[in-house]
Amino acid sequence: MNVGRILSSPLGLRLMSLVGVVVVWEAFGRLNPRVASYPSEIGAAFVQLGFVDDALVPAFATTLHGLVVGFAIAATLGIAIGFAMGRIRLVDLILDPYVSAFYATPRIALVPLLVLWVGIGFELRVTIVVLSAIFPIIINTYIGAKSVDRELLDAGRAFAANGWQLLTTVVVPGSIPYLFAGLRIGVARALVGIIVAEMTAAVTGTGRLIIQYGRFFETDKLFVPIIILGLFSIALAEVVYFLQRRATPWARVERIR
Amino acid sequence: MLDIQHVDKSFGQEGPPVLDDFSLAVAEGEFVSLIGPSGCGKTTLLRIVAGLLTATSGTVAVAGVPSLGPSRDKAVVFQHFNLFPWRTALANAAYGLEIQGMSRAEREERAMQWLVKLGLERYAHHYPGEISGGMRQRVGIARALVIEPKLLLMDEPFGALDALTREHLQGELQRIAESTSLTILFVTHSIDEAVYLSDRVIVMGTHPGRIIREFQVDLRRPRYDYNFRAEPQYAAIRGEIWSLLERELAITPDEPLVDATAGGVDTRS
Repeated sequence: MNVGRILSSPLGLRLMSLVGVVVVWEAFGRLNPRVASYPSEIGAAFVQLGFVDDALVPAFATTLHGLVVGFAIAATLGIAIGFAMGRIRLVDLILDPYVSAFYATPRIALVPLLVLWVGIGFELRVTIVVLSAIFPIIINTYIGAKSVDRELLDAGRAFAANGWQLLTTVVVPGSIPYLFAGLRIGVARALVGIIVAEMTAAVTGTGRLIIQYGRFFETDKLFVPIIILGLFSIALAEVVYFLQRRATPWARVERIR
Repeated sequence: MLDIQHVDKSFGQEGPPVLDDFSLAVAEGEFVSLIGPSGCGKTTLLRIVAGLLTATSGTVAVAGVPSLGPSRDKAVVFQHFNLFPWRTALANAAYGLEIQGMSRAEREERAMQWLVKLGLERYAHHYPGEISGGMRQRVGIARALVIEPKLLLMDEPFGALDALTREHLQGELQRIAESTSLTILFVTHSIDEAVYLSDRVIVMGTHPGRIIREFQVDLRRPRYDYNFRAEPQYAAIRGEIWSLLERELAITPDEPLVDATAGGVDTRS
């Protein structure tokens, strides 16, 4: 394969664009040092923060801990509530107003209240992650449970499946694509929620780092957690995408972010 | 084997009757087709027998036992196959036995036997999305037969298939019907298919759905062995059904009838 073909491949184009952005940024940053930092400085800051000051790993671990625990709770509860609402009319009638109201309420507005209730530590992170992620998960699971193919339900019923068997053999597998759509939106919302909570209330965590470096105009350091979060969100989307492909081997799964 | 007595069906409280005082008795091992224009209630009747719909009044009994819902002595083959896309051919075929609580090893062994009989052993671990329409319907037939039903209900099972595949599966269905004592109720749009497969063809009319006439088909079996279409009886019955349906279509000319021997779709109406 010659160089031209490598460069015109999708990966080659992406790499070239990345190199282009870095070069332009570096040049612009060096010419206007007060506006923003530039790649080489950020790289140095990354080494400093990560390996000398040891600020990155603890902060990121704190954020990740809250995110994982909160998201596990949100996914479990959200999927269960979504299916219950989708299949049991009474549950739907009772819960729908709350779900609709909360879905639209900006979660950031709840942070001051949550601080009063659960403090500014681990519990705050978990709570905000649950509140951020659970509603998209509930709503997508609900839509999935509602939109199960009637013909497939007929097939299940024709073979004398009872209500529980219909749920486990038809409704749940039929809802999986919707369920993953909910998880994908949920995980993105969870990340936003926890960072915002850390920026506004917490004294530790990745969000806190951003605020701290921003206050002291340390733009080189400021970019480090931002870039890490960007890469992390890509990794999260990939994890969800990977899990969806594993869970639905019969389907072609579209890569959506 | 199947006894349908005075079945009425209307949808909603004020809806017009879809079926009006429909009675039909099918003997054990008999192959009976229901044919009629769309809206004559043939699929509705099949769904009532399957237990997927409840009759407004009247009774259905299978082997002398009142049929009040889906049960394991009946199996359905659907027009659009209705296979579970997330199950392999084997897992689809084993579905009914899984619902009955049979162990995985045993149900998959039995399902595999039917897949082999239908020439699908190489596709046992394929998903429905990976196989052709004809193969999908074979899986649909396997899924129905695996539970060893007394009564097989088929709702235009070959309607969504191309002509060659359809003919092939018609032959296979005959072989299966001959090798078992299966009683079959078969809904179709195709006169040719009804006469070819059936011991008896029930011609239905619309508004409300009812039996207009029935025809006994005494053509020698197996019919895939010779050119049954050359038999005078075939032509006579086919002609009579056609003229009956044409009269019905004149009243409700909304959907053309498929006439395979005339080489396609009749668009006169």
